[in-house]
Parts: sequence; C-alpha cells; structure tokens
Amino acid sequence: MTTQFKVLERNHPRVDAHDKVTGRAAYASDVYLPGMLACKLLPSTRNHARIVRLDISKAASHPGVRCVITGTDFPDIRYGSGALRDRYVMPREVVNFVGEPIAAVAADDEATAQEAIELIEVEYEDLPSVVNPLTAIGSDAATVHPELEEYEGYGFTLGHNVSTLLDADRGDVDQAFRDADVVVEDVYRSQGINQGFLEPMACVADVEANGRLVVYASTQGPYQIRAALAGVLEVPVSRIRVVPMELGGGFGAKLRLAFEAFPALLAMKTGRPVKLVNTREEVFTMNGPRLPVTNYIRSGVMRDGTITAREAYTIFDVGAYLGAGPNSGIGHGIGAYRVPNFRLRSYGVYTNKIYVGSYRASGVADMTFAVESHMDRIAHEIGMDPYDLRVKNALREGDVSVSGAVVPTNGLMETLEAIKEKIDWPRDLEDGHGVGLALCEWRSGSGPSTASISVNDDGTVSLLTGSVDISGSDTSLAAIAAEALGIPMDQVVVAKRDTDLAPYTGQSGGSRIVYSQGTAVQRAAEDTVQKLVALAAERLGVPEEALDCEDGRVYVMDNEPQGLTFAQLAAASITSRGGPIIGTASLSSMPYTPVFAAQAAEVKVDRKTGQVRLLRYIQAQDVGTPINPMAVEGQLDGGVVQGIGRALTEDQQFDPETGAVRNPSFASYLMPLAIDLPELENVLINVPAPDGPFGARAVAEPPGFGPPAAIANAVYDAVGVRIKELPLSGERVLSALNGQNADIDFDVDALRRAEGIAAD
Amino acid sequence: MARFDYLEPQSLDEALGMLEKHGANSRLVAGSTDFLVRWRTGVWRPEIVVCMQHVPGLDGLHFNDDDGLSIGAMTTVQDIEQNSIVRSRYPALAAGATAFAGVQVRNLATVVGNVCNASPAGDTLPALLAYDAQCRIVGSNGERWLPLTEVFVGPGQTALAAGEIMTEIRLPTPPPNSGGLYIKHSPRGAMDISAVGAASVVSIGSDGNCASVRIALGAVAPTPMRAFGAEGRLVGQPPTDDNVAESARLAAQASRPIADVRSGAEYRREIAQVLAERTLRHAADTAVGGVADFDDIRRLAVQTTW
Repeated sequence: MTTQFKVLERNHPRVDAHDKVTGRAAYASDVYLPGMLACKLLPSTRNHARIVRLDISKAASHPGVRCVITGTDFPDIRYGSGALRDRYVMPREVVNFVGEPIAAVAADDEATAQEAIELIEVEYEDLPSVVNPLTAIGSDAATVHPELEEYEGYGFTLGHNVSTLLDADRGDVDQAFRDADVVVEDVYRSQGINQGFLEPMACVADVEANGRLVVYASTQGPYQIRAALAGVLEVPVSRIRVVPMELGGGFGAKLRLAFEAFPALLAMKTGRPVKLVNTREEVFTMNGPRLPVTNYIRSGVMRDGTITAREAYTIFDVGAYLGAGPNSGIGHGIGAYRVPNFRLRSYGVYTNKIYVGSYRASGVADMTFAVESHMDRIAHEIGMDPYDLRVKNALREGDVSVSGAVVPTNGLMETLEAIKEKIDWPRDLEDGHGVGLALCEWRSGSGPSTASISVNDDGTVSLLTGSVDISGSDTSLAAIAAEALGIPMDQVVVAKRDTDLAPYTGQSGGSRIVYSQGTAVQRAAEDTVQKLVALAAERLGVPEEALDCEDGRVYVMDNEPQGLTFAQLAAASITSRGGPIIGTASLSSMPYTPVFAAQAAEVKVDRKTGQVRLLRYIQAQDVGTPINPMAVEGQLDGGVVQGIGRALTEDQQFDPETGAVRNPSFASYLMPLAIDLPELENVLINVPAPDGPFGARAVAEPPGFGPPAAIANAVYDAVGVRIKELPLSGERVLSALNGQNADIDFDVDALRRAEGIAAD
Repeated sequence: MARFDYLEPQSLDEALGMLEKHGANSRLVAGSTDFLVRWRTGVWRPEIVVCMQHVPGLDGLHFNDDDGLSIGAMTTVQDIEQNSIVRSRYPALAAGATAFAGVQVRNLATVVGNVCNASPAGDTLPALLAYDAQCRIVGSNGERWLPLTEVFVGPGQTALAAGEIMTEIRLPTPPPNSGGLYIKHSPRGAMDISAVGAASVVSIGSDGNCASVRIALGAVAPTPMRAFGAEGRLVGQPPTDDNVAESARLAAQASRPIADVRSGAEYRREIAQVLAERTLRHAADTAVGGVADFDDIRRLAVQTTW
C-alpha cells in the first residue's frame, strides 16, 4: 500500500498482544487481595411482586458468612442508566423481573456464600404483570411502574408503561403519501439479543485504611461507574477510585454500573475486600440484553423509484428498567437515504422482564433490518432492481441528515459499487441460491475525550488516556501518537490507567475511541511537538519557525545536523523554564461524520428443512484512513459475525407468562461458530473524513447492522419468501415455504390516534 | 456449587462397593462432561462422586467379525470418531460421534456415559440403536445383558438399578452390503444439541431389495427411539424413492416430539421425516459399492442445507 504516512495505514500487532497470549493480562477476576471475601447474589423468582418478607437471619448466622445485604441497606436513592431514574440498585420493596438481585452475601469462600444465599427466606405478594410490549402499551395492561411520573429524568414520559417517546418530523408526510404512486407498508420484528461477550462481569471492591473505596472492574466506562457508585452509595466521587482491568469484551453491556455496588457496600460494611465474579447464567438473567423490537414502516414511492415519504413507528421493549436509552435507533428509520417527508416515532415500553441494555449501537441493527428489508420490498413492488433503488435514493454530500446535519464528503457510492462488483450483481443463480444487499449507516462517535503525553528521559513518550482498551484501541491510539510525533510505534508507551491517574473521558463505546479520543491524542501529540520545538528554539538560539520535527529529533531546517533529539530535549527540559514536557488535549464533541457500509450475502436455502446456509458475506465500508488496517478488519469481521448470529441463530427467549429468560446459556443461546461462517470478504473504502485523526472515520458499529436484512433479502431471492421476523431459523423459513407466513399484528392506528393523527 | 467427596476406585469391585455403600448420595462419572454442567447449576448434588477414570480394562475398543464391536465404558466419543473400523463398518456411528459437541468435549465424554445420561437428544444414541446395541450391566450380584432399546425408560432415566454399572456396549457385525448415516439437525454446525437426529442402517440383499432396515430417531420422543413400523414397511422392498419416502413418513408419524427453546413440536416431526428419508436414501445408496469417505460422512452429518 502506498501511503503518505509513516506509521498509519500499516498493520501493527496489538501493544498488549504478548500479555494477552501469555495469559499475563490481568482481568478483574485475576485480582486477589489479602483477606478477600466472595460474594454471591440472590435472584428474584417473580417478575412483579412485593417483597413481603426477606429473612436473612439464617444466612447471616451461617458459619463463614461475614455480611448479608438487601435493598434497604443502600441509601433510599433511585438511579438510572438511561433517560430516567427508574430503579434502585437493589429493590427495596418491589421486584420487577425474574433474576433481579434482591440480596447479596459476602462469605469466606464462594461455596459458603452460595449456601448462605439458599438460606435466605423470601415471601412475595404477586402483582399484576405484563411481558409483551405490544400488550403493555395498551391502556388496560398492568402497570410496571405506578410511580413513573415521579421519576426524575431528561426524556419526557407519557406515563402508563411508555417510558420514552422520541419523534422526528419533516415536510408534509400525509400529503406526500397521498401524492405517491405506490405505498408500501410492513411490520418487522427483531428478537432479544445477548451481547455475548467472553468475560462475565467481575469486580473486586476494597476499602483503603483512609476510607476510600477502590473498585477493580470489568468495564467500558470507569468514570461512569464511579459516578453511579457515588450516587447509589452516597459517597463523594473523590472518595472512589475505579480501576478498569483488561476487558474481555463488552459490546455495550459494560458501559454502566452493573453489580459493582454489591461488593462495594459489602466491603464498606466488613472492611475487607469483596470479590464478585458473575456466572454466565447471571450475565444472561441479571444484566441487560437487547430486547425485542417491533417496527411498523411505510413508504410513499414514485414510479421512478424516488422515495418521497416515510413513516415509522417503533416499539422498543425496555423491560423492567431503562438500562440504556432505548431509542437511539429512531433516526435510522430513514436509513442512508434522502427522504424529504417523514414521521418517525420511537416508543420505549416497560415490561416485567430483564431490563434493556446496550449493544453495539443499540437499536440500529433492528432498524436496519426493517429499513433494508423494506427497501427490497419497495423494489419488488415497483419492479425496480434493489441495487438501483438504493443508488437512486442514497444520501449524497450536501444532503441534510435526519438530525439536521449536512452530510460531508463520504464514500457511500464507492461502497455500493465495490459490493456490486464483488458479488457480480445482478446474478442468475440456481434454485435455492440467492443474493441480498443491505446498506448501513452510522456516525462517528463523539463525547468528552482527553489525552496527555509526557516525554521520557530516553526520548520515548508515555501516552495516558482514560479510555479502556477495546478491540485494540490502545494500539490505534499509540499509532496516532507516533504518527503525530514522528516517532516509531515502539517509542510510545501506553500507560495503564484508572480514575485517579487519567483525565476524565467518556466511555469506550459508540464508535468513538479512535475518532474522538484519537483526535485528543493527535492534538496532545501536536502540543507536545510544539513544546519540544519551543525548547529546542531556546537551546539552539534559533526562531521556532526555523525548526522542523522528524524521526524523534528537532533540527534546523537549513542546517540539518544542528538539532536536538527528544532524549536530549527531555534532559534539557528538566532545568528549563517550562519544566518537563507534557502535551495535553481535551475536547467535548466532534463534528458529524457519517460512516457508510454496503453489504451483500449469498445463501443457500434447504427447501425441505428451511435451513439457511451462508455461502458468502461481503462488506465494503468507508473507514476513512485505516489507522491500523489489521484492527479495522478485525472490527469488520467481529461485527459482521455478530450480525450473522442475529440474522440466523441468536434468539433470547422469554417465558410469555413470567418474562424469565428461557435460554440463559451458550448451549441454548446460539452464537455462530467458525464452522457456520464462510470466508468473510472485506473491502476498505478510504474517503478521508474531514475531521477525525488523520482522516479516520469510526469503524466499529456498522458491520453488525447489515446481515439480518442482507440475508433475509437473499432468502427472498433464493426461495421467494419474505421473512419479517428474526432470527431466520429453519423453522420460520420452512413455515413460510409451507405458506404459513403470517404478518405481524400491530395496531399502528391506535398510536396515530393517540397523537391526534387521522388514520388513512 | 455444592461440595462433594471425590473417590477414585482402582477396580470395578471397588467401584461397585462404593456405590453400594453410599447409595443414592453418590453419583458415578466417567468423562464428567454432563456431570459438571448439572452440578454447577445445582441439578445434581451428590455427596460422593465416584470417578471411573482409574478402573483398568474399561477403555477397550475392539472389533472382530464374530463378536462385532466392543466399546468399553471409558471409550471416548473421540476414540469412536477416529476409529477406522467404526468409520468403515459403522458409518452411522462415526457420523453420530463426529456430530457430537466439539473436539474438546469428545475427548472427555464417553459413549457409555452418553448412553447412561439418556438424553433424548444424545448424538451417539440413534446410531447405537440402529446397530442393535447390547449393553453389559454389572452389579454386586453379577452381570446381565440388556438391549439398548430397553435401557432407555425416560428422559435422563435408564433401566440400571441402583449400584449397577454399565461396563460395555456391543454392536453386532452389520450384515454384508450395509450402509448407514446419522444426520443431526441443529442451527449450529458444532457445539449444539440436536433439535432432531436420525440414523438409518440398511442392508441390501442379493435380490436388490432391503434385507434389513433400522431407523432410529433422537430428540423427538422422551427417549431415543427405534421406528419399528417404518422399518417393517421397507424390509423386503426395493429402496425406491417412493418406498423410502413412505417409510420416512411412518417414522415421523411414530415420533412424539415436544416444543422447547430449540424447536416447535410440529417442526421436529417434519424434520424427522426429512432426516429419516435422507439417511435411508444414503444408507441404501452406499450399502452396495464401498465405503463412504469420512469427510463426506462428516459433511452430511452436520451439513445444514441439501
């Protein structure tokens, strides 16, 4: 590859590769402290009930048990992870889902803690409950949160079971539908999804002799955990230190407070370190997954394929609590297209099942399944090639996005063209084989980002950021620093961080680390260079403008031998007026930078069993400048595999009566294996971003959006059945092949009427 | 995560003595792959675990034409999957073994353990039924032989009495000109529990008709089951597509599937018919004309689309 860069656009092994492969990398469960106790949790067995009696006396007196806590041991403070403060860290009076932790034990060892858990006596008084969100939204359904209107939050609530309603409108949508040549209407449903990270939650809490709480956690958001712990424990933020350990995957599930408050309070009460390592079953039943989404979508289309109107009503099941903002998908009801008139509505609906959590651009994969399936339906209805329909309506530079931002330069068309060429579209295939497309869009993630760089005695630099490493982000940040400083990668030391050491930063998630955090690193490096140059100018007795910085050395442009290395400058800095050299940068937000990706699937469908086999999967994504191409491809592969699981096998099932998770293990919640996957084909399109470090765009989220729709479209191409519900299981496809493909029942008129919009 | 004491008998007699002494508080384990899961989730809480790993003489896997295949109690699923005699003479069993979990689990799990666990979905079980397996069961009062069809009495339940140990499974030598296959239907290509499994073994007589037919189904009844009626329909008949289809229909009809997180009941019945038909077809086609290549067997056993 030809490149203008010295470090970027080249493959770099991860800076932590040796630690990871030799097993030296320390995860939260690897933390062992003297006198450490083990913690276990008691889950609720009811999905909506008042706790009439919670008797911990037998557990507390069990030999080896040091402390038992219940909800009333915590301060009487509601907290929230999403738009509302709608929960207690541990329920005080009422449980809202099966699996909700209602007590925690600290004991000398795990087996003793578990014995004590089983000695806790609970009596419940059942309350009316509701599990299906489409039932819950109706006025005669049981109410999950009778006190909803008292909750503090920043969204607005509609009361009853609707926690949040977001809307977006443009133009005269009703007139546009009346003027359209063709109107296409669909309802799609996507399933509950577990994030499927490898490392279950783990945490060790310790109280220092001075009373400060130290929490070692598996987290994407150490500062966010610190803030949440401060809230629920009524302890000042400054009295808490959160140490993020190596992260064994999170995908959004570890953005916020999980179970850290339980060992923390137990440590505060016992004065001893307390460790909680969750089981996989606890991850499945206690920590928020994504929940089912029902999506009504309607489009007005002209005969030439121009989409003139779009209406989308989306019901996000949020379970018992808003564990995450449920509605981030709302703008994605349009997709990567220019649609002049639209009405988009996104409801977050409470039900008595496990609360909703975050997962790799929460909600967008659900929206993309609906929108991109719907695009193929439109193409079919008007007799247009699905590829041509996408090209015709795709966003161009200068268009206004749903959020109102102007679309800057981008590689959307290049991604479509790359896919078309790779899959050889349109193609005639043998019976049972099919090809399908999907177009994905996302934006590069923003949010508070900070970095500091100090120059070491030997001329190397130490890079400190508050961002937890995910998917090799430390390596990419080191590469950005090296490029900006003009030194090799191995001259950058990436410091381990915690909330005491590093400056505040946002969470590692939402495709923001390389784009936003990377920008902070680039600016900190530039600040460092500027200080090195200033010092060199002082020592060499030349003006700064006469100097250049390259290969770890500042030199006089007209007289290259005259210069000072970083090591010499570091030594000089110690006695200089300015002192040791530290470059810093801090920023709060970044401009809107879209990310586009086109994807294609080729499948074979077994007509007798309905089983879908994926033969090829191709994705082309505009990644801008690929900082570390190997890492970029890793992100593309990982994301698309998660999307393939969502399309074909993953299905978090809930008991229709109790809402309990029916398949809380990897033996019954099926993520794809290598044997289930074809060779994944990636095309990196590089249209440099106007902002972002060295033209890099975000990478992480879009790969996972496309597979459900691309594969559903390919199944339609293969055997002529349109599956509108995920996953595309053999059972579902065979039913459709047998003519039993019922439309999903969804009363959109009731929602329109509630807003005073006349039904058509 | 209940505590237990772990015992390692050094002989069969010692093992029998331990089971007699501790009775219902004890549990016998071989590869422990089923045990660990159930112990960790609290389903099984024995006070004593008796492990067969160090009992000598139970790891044998022997074949001769007169006695057939002898599978010792400690023979692992991987031993079976890798064995060239199994692959050539008992291809349906090789298919069942290769469809079983993944390599790491196969290296620990034993075939006899798979039988004694008596899951309706056990991947080696339909093939063992289709090869007329006989089981040697040893107790303090001596030994007895029981046909495998009589071993399964319910989900997770066997005809073994308290204190008895299954030490060997024997499969008679298949008739000449035999073919067989097991197909596992599951959403994933490995590390999955079958939604439906079917094994068929067919031998073709000199007249070109089916001389013997065995059809066994997994995960569609409380126990792995033989489809005797469906077999009878095909015996003495030529293996035409129509005859095979009719036999497969009868096999599915005899099933009694349930709905669970993996599948609906009706879908299971439909798939049972498809798999019975495909395994019968393959068995009849390969009965005459040589040994199927193992890579083909593996592909057919776990391949999800035809």
